[in-house]
Amino acid sequence: MTPALEIVGLSKTFGEKTAVDHVDLTVPQGSFYGLVGQNGAGKTTTLSMAVGLLRPDAGSARIFGADVWSAPSRALSLVGVLPDGMAMPERLTGREVLTYLGLLRGLPKEVVAERAEELLSVLELDAAERTLVIEYSTGMRKKIGLAVALLHAPRLLVLDEPFEAVDPVSAATIKTILRGFVAGGGSIVLSSHVMALVEQLCDHVGVIDAGRVAAAGTLEEVRGERSLEDTFVDLVGAPGAGAKALSWLSR
Amino acid sequence: MTASVTPSAATSLTTSLTMAGMKLAVLRNSMSGQKSGSIVIGGVLGLVLAGGTLFAAFRTGDLLAAAYAIWMLGWIFGPVFSGGGDETLRPEYFTLLGIPPRRLASGLLVGAFVGIAPVISLLALAGLAVFGVRQSPAAVVVALPAMLLQLAVFVLLSRVAVAVLGLALRSRVGAVGAGLVNGAILAALGQGWVFAVALGQAGGITPEASAALRYLPSGWGLAAVEAAVAGSWGRAALTLGALAVLVALLLAAWAALLTRRAGSARASARGRRPITASTASGAVVAKELRVWSRDLVRTHQLTFALAYGVFFAAAPLLLGVHGMLPWAGPIFVLMAAAMSANLYGADGTALWLTLVAPGAADVRGRQQAWLLVVGPVAVAVTLAFSAAVGGFEPAVLALTAALLGGGAGIVPLISVYALVPGTDPHRRGGNPLRVSEDDGAMTGLAYAVLALVALTGAPAALAAWLYGWAGVAVGVVTGALSFWGFGLLAQRRLHSHGPDLLQTMRTGKRPAAATGPGRWMSLDHLPKREQIITVICWSIGAVPLFPQGIVAGVLKAGGTENRSWFLALHLPDGLQWPTIAFMVLLGLGLYGLGLWIPYRRRT
Repeated sequence: MTPALEIVGLSKTFGEKTAVDHVDLTVPQGSFYGLVGQNGAGKTTTLSMAVGLLRPDAGSARIFGADVWSAPSRALSLVGVLPDGMAMPERLTGREVLTYLGLLRGLPKEVVAERAEELLSVLELDAAERTLVIEYSTGMRKKIGLAVALLHAPRLLVLDEPFEAVDPVSAATIKTILRGFVAGGGSIVLSSHVMALVEQLCDHVGVIDAGRVAAAGTLEEVRGERSLEDTFVDLVGAPGAGAKALSWLSR
Repeated sequence: MTASVTPSAATSLTTSLTMAGMKLAVLRNSMSGQKSGSIVIGGVLGLVLAGGTLFAAFRTGDLLAAAYAIWMLGWIFGPVFSGGGDETLRPEYFTLLGIPPRRLASGLLVGAFVGIAPVISLLALAGLAVFGVRQSPAAVVVALPAMLLQLAVFVLLSRVAVAVLGLALRSRVGAVGAGLVNGAILAALGQGWVFAVALGQAGGITPEASAALRYLPSGWGLAAVEAAVAGSWGRAALTLGALAVLVALLLAAWAALLTRRAGSARASARGRRPITASTASGAVVAKELRVWSRDLVRTHQLTFALAYGVFFAAAPLLLGVHGMLPWAGPIFVLMAAAMSANLYGADGTALWLTLVAPGAADVRGRQQAWLLVVGPVAVAVTLAFSAAVGGFEPAVLALTAALLGGGAGIVPLISVYALVPGTDPHRRGGNPLRVSEDDGAMTGLAYAVLALVALTGAPAALAAWLYGWAGVAVGVVTGALSFWGFGLLAQRRLHSHGPDLLQTMRTGKRPAAATGPGRWMSLDHLPKREQIITVICWSIGAVPLFPQGIVAGVLKAGGTENRSWFLALHLPDGLQWPTIAFMVLLGLGLYGLGLWIPYRRRT
């Protein structure tokens, strides 16, 4: 079966710094894939290159077999993207953003209206009907971003830190939606540095450290008998024991 | 806990010195980055202006007073067009420190004095000392404090103006009002000759005008020096005291405004019309039109452009000349294009949405929206004013059509080819004018658009001048061609370079130009010293080559009596032609050096 996302040898260098160094990852269809790594490990850079938002120095990315860089139209119609910290059309309301994007994606007007209505109510954004996106809280921005990613009914979701700054109630809503998406045959890649969250949601894990894949496979393969957090700390070699307490903070 | 910390003079001093230190550190860092180019260009231009002011100090007090009035207007209005002025140290950085507003304002003020612009202004203000000492050496006692106080007034007026405008841009009425006032004043400056002629008709600078120049806050320092020269030391001291009081008042006003500065420009809360479009490009138009009507910064820009056009064209009415009035339309179009120069940059990283929907014609939608916003107003103004002066001129109508198409084509084109990364709208600070970190490049882009759009009007203007009404047809055709052709180029560039543009926007840095074999080194990659030399060569090469060389030569060949500032014509006869030749060679040499440095470093 064609993988939902296949990344082969992706590399990216910014000036002197190699951000991503020949990353290979395969996301099987129907999997819930968690990409973990420290801040600055290269998660966002890898995912940006995988969905056509950043030009790689080398390597390729295929979404259901369609190359993101040589056949972008087909590849991009199959994927929904939630980038971290990117701007939106800030002076539109949530409904207007969805309408604009649905039409941009070439969906019929009625379908767009129907889906926008449903997404806004499921994600509890319909109360802020007259609020512009620029006035949204960080959590609301994540939710409208998720709605944008889901709008055209993609078969793969690529989500960069979808739970960052989201309140627990909204997080539960989002988890339900994402689990439903996978249960319905969709595939998800999400990046996070919260190990508990990845253990709770994902069936596959990739560990990225300093721009390279340190480990990848099913959750069981990667963590073995231990917790993901212990495995992760071992893999990236951050000695937790070496961390010193700040003496001047205690009385 | 009742431990009270009295804000002593020492803490105040520490705050101020820390801020000055921070500012210096940032300046030092930016001199090695991409901004260094615009800093050097700005510095060279400033030095030329300061030189002109010092020259005025050797002439009359009226001239000097007028020069300082222009410096003051520059300080007040400069920030409006260059991205909100100097924001190296933002009040927001210090909110969590709990510094009292007055102390924060004094600290920021001290920080504000560290920079290129204040130093150059101080140089221009040295004209006060020159002017005083020329007439009475003792006046220097008054001139020195007057220079410093006057500089403080300039810097503070600038800060207060930006803060007031920031408040105004929180409401639609404020945005429109500020746009009208700014447009009117800038147009008046641009049409300075009208007032000069009007004054000339009144027989030179009237005593009233001469007094008015000294009543302006920019003239107080000069008034003090003049009093000292006249020997009335009491009046000099009083005027200096008044300057000091003005500084204190402005500082207090700024401190008060700082506490009110919070959040970005509010979007207007009018009723939301549902989007009725049903196609992709229709959706882009709908989105853009909403941005134009909801972003109060854009409202301000449009009102400014309109006010500038109308007041600029209406100014000659003071002399009873009506002919210029219909030109308000084309001037408005030019200004509107310049104000929207950084079309894509202003949206920041929202570009990613365009990239994930590659089929959509984003450029075409933006072009149509721009035309829908600017076009009807421009046409209405042109037609109404033409009718008002009782005649339709082919050139005006031809240019309106040509420039509308040209603007709609050039604006998206230049914003994808010379993108200046903007700050994402939701990350902007309390200064709504601050839309990019690279304000120098933004200003440059606006001037580039102004020039390029004006060029697109050239064929129509020429045709109208030669063949009359046929020019209007030429204007419509070139307008349509510009819209179509430049739009197509922009669309292609967006397709081929979309991810690179997004990366530029994300990092705030223009990507390193590919330095393949045989390519010249781009300016950003030269060592700092060579970078500065190159920029200086390019900036001032024109001065010896054109005015001092070629123009002086033409004037000499024509046997003119007007020597103006042409150095060669002031020299003994035998030296005139050699000087002209030297100037031409010097200019060519400067340009040659500017080319040679990057060429030598080619890889």
